[in-house]
Amino acid sequence: MPPPVAPPPPVAPPLPAPLAPPLAPPVRGPSAVVEVEHASRWYGNVVAVNDISFAVGPGVTGLLGPNGAGKTTLLHMAAGLLAPSAGEVRVGGQQTWRNPGIYRQVGLVPEREAVYPFLTGREFALVNAREHGLADPDAAAERAIDLVDLADAADRRIGTYSKGMRQRIKMAAALVHDPPVLILDEPFNGMDPRQRLHMFELLQRMADEGRTVLLSSHILEEVERIAASVLVIYAGRLAASGDFRSIRRLMTDRPHEFFVRSSDDRRLGSVLLTEQSVFGVELDPKGLLVRTSDFGRFTRRMPQVAREAGIRLLELTPTDDSLESVFAYLVGR
Amino acid sequence: MIRAMPIVALTLRSLVDRRRFWLMVLLAAVPVLMAIVSSAFGGDLFSRRIFDQLIVRTVLPLIALVFGTAALGTELEDGTIVFLLTKPIRRFRIVLAKGVVAAGLTAALIVPATVLTGLVATSQHASLVSSTVAYAMAAAVGGTAYALGFLALSSFTSRALAIGLGYVLLWEGVLSGLFEGTRVFSVRQATLGLAEMLQRGDDADRTIGGLTSVVVLGVVIVGSLALATWRLSRYQLRGGD
Repeated sequence: MPPPVAPPPPVAPPLPAPLAPPLAPPVRGPSAVVEVEHASRWYGNVVAVNDISFAVGPGVTGLLGPNGAGKTTLLHMAAGLLAPSAGEVRVGGQQTWRNPGIYRQVGLVPEREAVYPFLTGREFALVNAREHGLADPDAAAERAIDLVDLADAADRRIGTYSKGMRQRIKMAAALVHDPPVLILDEPFNGMDPRQRLHMFELLQRMADEGRTVLLSSHILEEVERIAASVLVIYAGRLAASGDFRSIRRLMTDRPHEFFVRSSDDRRLGSVLLTEQSVFGVELDPKGLLVRTSDFGRFTRRMPQVAREAGIRLLELTPTDDSLESVFAYLVGR
Repeated sequence: MIRAMPIVALTLRSLVDRRRFWLMVLLAAVPVLMAIVSSAFGGDLFSRRIFDQLIVRTVLPLIALVFGTAALGTELEDGTIVFLLTKPIRRFRIVLAKGVVAAGLTAALIVPATVLTGLVATSQHASLVSSTVAYAMAAAVGGTAYALGFLALSSFTSRALAIGLGYVLLWEGVLSGLFEGTRVFSVRQATLGLAEMLQRGDDADRTIGGLTSVVVLGVVIVGSLALATWRLSRYQLRGGD
């Protein structure tokens, strides 16, 4: 009979330093089109955006963060629809707040779904073209409608449009004056995969033409698909910024926690503590909580360790893989 | 119209496209129906009292309230205002276009209602037709003041309809007429004063002078446009997160 194994004590050494290399420096100077400097926005005692600074230039930049992170507040400040409580927000070197002149350079696709339901798509695009004072508003409206691939439905009332079609007609309205800066708040909401793909291609084309596209999303895969650089927002703070690969590496290399159930949890715990990639093991009534600083190495070694010890693995589940916990980690770095 | 005056066309469509427009048409028909009934039973001539009680005190402010608060307030509520705010245009242009529609629709309903009411009630007294014209003109100006006032109110609060209703019923309906000194702060009293000035007739009931009425209505109209413009130029769009 093997000697009883004492339950491993909870181990909680200090978290390892982030393994990721320094992120790419933010865009500065003449190529910076949207500049946010120490911008904060609060509503009474609630801080929606907390001392955020960044600058973005031509290309697609994704604003990534969970719902309630402050993305819309930040985009509204960038679009001149909200005054910063502190700090400055500029587009093309001009302050955005109370400066309607910036809308010659800026197109905005708001998150809210409401669009005049009694207008047809063509009328809506035309109203926007007229209000921009364009020389040939009819031609501009047609071009914008073609760009978003909505020509077939352009004479239908917007009230009859699907959610995805509404997103596209809002996009047409934002593009009608051919702006160099495009700000989009959750632009892929409600789109089906085909519409989404079309939008990805359209935004990529805009970026290739030298436009600055700043879009928000709470879905990692959307941002990964389209944005070359990323700003991660969490709880009103800028958690990370840089190119998408750096951000992805940061997310992967952060400490992870797994729940493990096996045929012999106590013995598996003591064996795992000898592994370099593991820095904490906690015995739980239902299994083991294992903390690792090296996601890749741990997932490769785990089956080997169990097999060598003759222990059968019954369950291996990451406990903190939600985007929320990723963002929380990035802020706490 | 969308090509020539897009904001006017947009606002007009949004107000006429809904059921409330037809409710307002019905409301405007109430004084006419009352006049027909009254006339059939040998009722009163189209006097100041009828103009005041039937039109200026009830129908006019209610119609102006509905159109005035909806012209801008609905867009602020549902968020479609963002499509106008993100254009390189002066905020005064937006307010003016919406004000023109709110006031125009109010006048488009109240002027025919006043004229028809007057014609029915004065059918046996041709000499009183000029009074009807004066009342209709005063109603148009008073309606403009009301509509713009309510439009300005809707730029400050999402409860403009309820607050406006309280104002119409309490202040204009009861309180403003109680004391001599408060009448000068009443759109209703100013509308009545203007009507009396225009018909250059019976001024026995006049509570505020014609010139004072013009000034009061002018201040309300200009002040409301200025207030709504000021408010819209500082309007902040609060996001979901």
